[in-house]
Amino acid sequence: MSEPISAERFAYIAQRAGLDPEKIGAERFEELRQGTRFVERMQRTVRRPLGGQPRERAAEPAHIFVHPKA
Amino acid sequence: MAQSIGDPTQLSLAGASRAITEGALSPVALTEGYLDRIAALDGELHSYVLVLTDEALTAAMAAEADIRAGRSRGKLHGIPIGLKDIYKTRGIRTTAGSRVYLDHVPEEDAETWVRLHDAGAILLGKQETHEFAIGGPDFTLPFPPARNPWNTEHYPAGSSSGTAAAVGAHLCAAGMGSDTGGSIRGPAAYCGIVGLKPTYGRLSRRGVFPLSYTLDHCGPLTRTVEDCAWMLQALAGHDPKDPASVDMPVPDYARALTPRIDGLSIGVIRHWHEEDAVAGFGPESTPSPAYIAAFDAACRTLESLGARLRDIRLSPLLDYADTNRLIMLSEAFALHETDFRERPHLFGRQMFARIGLGAFLSAADYVEAMRQRRELCLEMAGALGEVDLIVSANYTGPAPRIDAVGTWGVFERASYTAPYNITGLPALSVPIGFEDALPLAFQIAARPFDEAGVLRAGFAFEQAAGIYRQQPPMAASLPAR
Repeated sequence: MSEPISAERFAYIAQRAGLDPEKIGAERFEELRQGTRFVERMQRTVRRPLGGQPRERAAEPAHIFVHPKA
Repeated sequence: MAQSIGDPTQLSLAGASRAITEGALSPVALTEGYLDRIAALDGELHSYVLVLTDEALTAAMAAEADIRAGRSRGKLHGIPIGLKDIYKTRGIRTTAGSRVYLDHVPEEDAETWVRLHDAGAILLGKQETHEFAIGGPDFTLPFPPARNPWNTEHYPAGSSSGTAAAVGAHLCAAGMGSDTGGSIRGPAAYCGIVGLKPTYGRLSRRGVFPLSYTLDHCGPLTRTVEDCAWMLQALAGHDPKDPASVDMPVPDYARALTPRIDGLSIGVIRHWHEEDAVAGFGPESTPSPAYIAAFDAACRTLESLGARLRDIRLSPLLDYADTNRLIMLSEAFALHETDFRERPHLFGRQMFARIGLGAFLSAADYVEAMRQRRELCLEMAGALGEVDLIVSANYTGPAPRIDAVGTWGVFERASYTAPYNITGLPALSVPIGFEDALPLAFQIAARPFDEAGVLRAGFAFEQAAGIYRQQPPMAASLPAR
């Protein structure tokens, strides 16, 4: 398992995500930083080609849109 | 009347229902029996956050009068149940296990509760849940975490923890949970009961607090597979007001329950627990030898019942689990975004840390996960084109101590339940044995809307293995008053 990102980089991405460390508190803010290693793993996993085959550009997502009835 | 059948809370839902139909059991006696057990045992188990004593007794008296007058509403009439406290109940506090909704009294009922109520079920109370069905066990929340009925020092799993604990300890006949990554089937496994996550779209989710719109499922937790089939019968069916609900015929689930499963072809996914768990998640996810032995023995039992088993291989477990989690975190963070930014102090520590990770995911991450999801669905559909059912592991060891469950365990340990959320397939957790006097379980999954198939195999296995007859010491009858 990879290490969590640096405190400096975490402060930057948290600010970009609209999270205020003052409101969150130092302990929770640090715990969130510890969890970023799982974010990086998930980001890698969902981009990994299944069965060794790269995902084609035309590969569609699992659709969730349905035409709603009034 | 109840004396002729002994303690009615020792009966299964189906057993109690038959006794009521035969006039051998009064719904009032049954309800009183469960309320007595809650009063005596829930101070240790913490499975309920609200007990509706007066309302339940009033409903039981009405049920008794109706049944005596020949106005039975069917198999669930007079049966006391519980609801995870994310199911909205009109006029009854529904907290989602959170300070955010601590005083929330909904103005409408969850559609699933409407259906159970219309079928005559009696609501005993609202049951403990991890905060918004994700944050727990958390000792900083207003309600203490539920405990495992087999050993209250241990974890019952979550997030439908209170419901599973209550069903296992005979503090209700059955209950309703929800499942976004395994929150019905995990607690069912650790508490030694049966849990069904139906097909996505089979049961309405309307009126249940969402966690992740495209992964959330509602489903029953019961002590036997037959009970599960009876609950599902009352619950299944189209809800035009739930955008995910599918208008499909509802079969007679009880008719699917047969003692043998001759000719059924079953694919067994061994590599998820024998190879992928350690490769993808690390050595802490190593299955226990006792689990591997119990899983193999369960497969042999299925063969002895007439099924044809063969091993199948799919993508690594991590692909299914991480895709499920990325989608769940994205959708859950979007749902709670304003509260996370404006009043984060209201959330418990576990909820905040887990869902907070969704703040760091991008739209591209989400779309890539949904593309991966489609590929995984196609892969699973291909496998189910060659076999009738799939069998795979659930938790691969006994429940840990509740004080050993950390914030990141859900990400660090292998999840065997997530593949059926990401694909929306029906999956049933059934007990297969014990380790250190704590239950073990496996899962049976099927093609979309083939709940009858998983119930059929689950029932045949359950009857042959007989594990359901072993109940936790806490489930024993109370001393006579």
